[in-house]
Amino acid sequence: MITVDRLTKTYGAYTAVDDVSFACQPGRVTGFLGPNGAGKTTTMRIMVGLSLPTRGNVTIGGLRYHDIPNPGRHVGTLLDASAQHVGRSGREILAIAAQTMGLPKTRVDEMLALVGLTDDEAGRRLRNYSLGMKQRLGIAHALLGDPSVLILDEPANGLDPAGIRWMRGLLKGYADRGGTVLLSSHLLHEVEQIADEMILIGRGKIVARGDRETLLAGANGTPVTLVTSLDNTALGAALTHAGHGVEPAGPGLKVQASPEQVGRAALAAGVVLTDLRSGGAGLEDLFLELTSADAREAVAGFGAPTPGGIPA
Amino acid sequence: MSSTAVPTLDISGTPRTPLSRLVGVELRKAIDTRAGFWFATSIVGLVCAVLLIYTLAAPDGSKNLDDMLPIAGGVLGYFLPILIIMLVTSEQSQRNGLVTFTLEPQRSRVVAAKFLAGISLAAVVMVLAALLAVVFTGIGAVTGGAPDWSVDGNLLFNGFVLANLIGIFVGFAIAMLLMNTPAGIVVYFAYSLILPIAAGILSALSSGFEKVAPWIEFNTAQAPLLTGDFQPSGEEWAQFATAGFLWLVVPLVLGTLRLLRIEFK
Repeated sequence: MITVDRLTKTYGAYTAVDDVSFACQPGRVTGFLGPNGAGKTTTMRIMVGLSLPTRGNVTIGGLRYHDIPNPGRHVGTLLDASAQHVGRSGREILAIAAQTMGLPKTRVDEMLALVGLTDDEAGRRLRNYSLGMKQRLGIAHALLGDPSVLILDEPANGLDPAGIRWMRGLLKGYADRGGTVLLSSHLLHEVEQIADEMILIGRGKIVARGDRETLLAGANGTPVTLVTSLDNTALGAALTHAGHGVEPAGPGLKVQASPEQVGRAALAAGVVLTDLRSGGAGLEDLFLELTSADAREAVAGFGAPTPGGIPA
Repeated sequence: MSSTAVPTLDISGTPRTPLSRLVGVELRKAIDTRAGFWFATSIVGLVCAVLLIYTLAAPDGSKNLDDMLPIAGGVLGYFLPILIIMLVTSEQSQRNGLVTFTLEPQRSRVVAAKFLAGISLAAVVMVLAALLAVVFTGIGAVTGGAPDWSVDGNLLFNGFVLANLIGIFVGFAIAMLLMNTPAGIVVYFAYSLILPIAAGILSALSSGFEKVAPWIEFNTAQAPLLTGDFQPSGEEWAQFATAGFLWLVVPLVLGTLRLLRIEFK
């Protein structure tokens, strides 16, 4: 439904988005993941015509955003929940949008109820809203025109854990009814539970894509195991002898081998294990690893990239 | 889900947003904030207050409708453009342009809607101010004067309607060029208050500049609209057109181009 084709956006010498292509399908939630400044927001701004691409293009349902008549009825957008006049009440902000789109006034109350803003809260001016309330209002704003496509930039930002769970349910239900959802985040755990597909972006380039399983499988040519034993030195020597990479990690060792291989090595060496688990295989690690070359800070606890790892 | 056919949007049920609806939205946005509402109300209140002071202070012979109208018009002239500046710059200063231009990506239509909304709003305020002028002329009559109720058509059109419309257009142009509320208001006052004084001083110092001033300084060029018989001569109209091109048409064109291209963050 959303098709991004070889999109590039430069600001002078700075390339914010670098030859990015992907597509979002109806009935699916697509997660757009990357550290701050990776190019997520710029890509989304180009989708809705707020910025012009330097090269490439984006279509929604086969149309350029500019060519969609009354676009709020087709594409619900939340780019920045704070980007509203702070002197207007939440209800007034929705009422203006409803009037622009030619919707009945009752739609405003329906959306306020849907996102759980009370009458009292809806009557307050935006300057008195918490970030979480702004996000709820922004989601109401995006859903107002009953669109078939949702483009949400960091919608979970500022929501409490209950709010994040609520939003997950909302978006999942929306996609199950055939809607197309693209949501961005810099926090993996916000997205990994609901996204049918994830697109990882770092410094303007897509570094990985796929569903959870594909990403994990692609990342781990070499499995990683965390092991602790009564004699780490002997175990380490045995594992190194067997050709596995070993490095100390906390009270134990981090080994580039499967738990089974580590268990067999321990058995052969006669070392008693006190802890053995598949480690470092979470999406979180993958995410950090893939984007660490592009992140602003070196990731603490992760020294040199593991040999044979995916080049970021 | 690897079908090659790209799903398309069915846009048959959603016609383009009519311009009239956009104008309605912009009118609403102009007065639905505390700042906008009280500013509009204050303008009318201020016209009322100035007319009241004039009615109390002026000699009985100068309480004609023709005396009251320019006073009401003068107050409007200073403050109406600020209402327009706030309406346009809030899209950037308050960042709601992000939403405005997402719901209507054809920016030229939003510009047109703001322009029409600004003129409509100005028309309403002008009618109110003219009514107040009539009311205070009536008060003058009741309190012992014998005012003349006739209105010079040139005064009404040139000195009241046209002069105020120009002020609004200038405010509109400045707002689009700067896209910042405080800067817009400061520049507007510099243009309308400081510039004519500077032109006056320079004209007093140099007779050469005095001859050139009405051709290049728009406030000076507008003076014949607001004074004397309110009917500029042919040469004065030419000066009005030349200065107006410099101070109104050029900024309006540049401002519109800027608004059409600016990245709303």
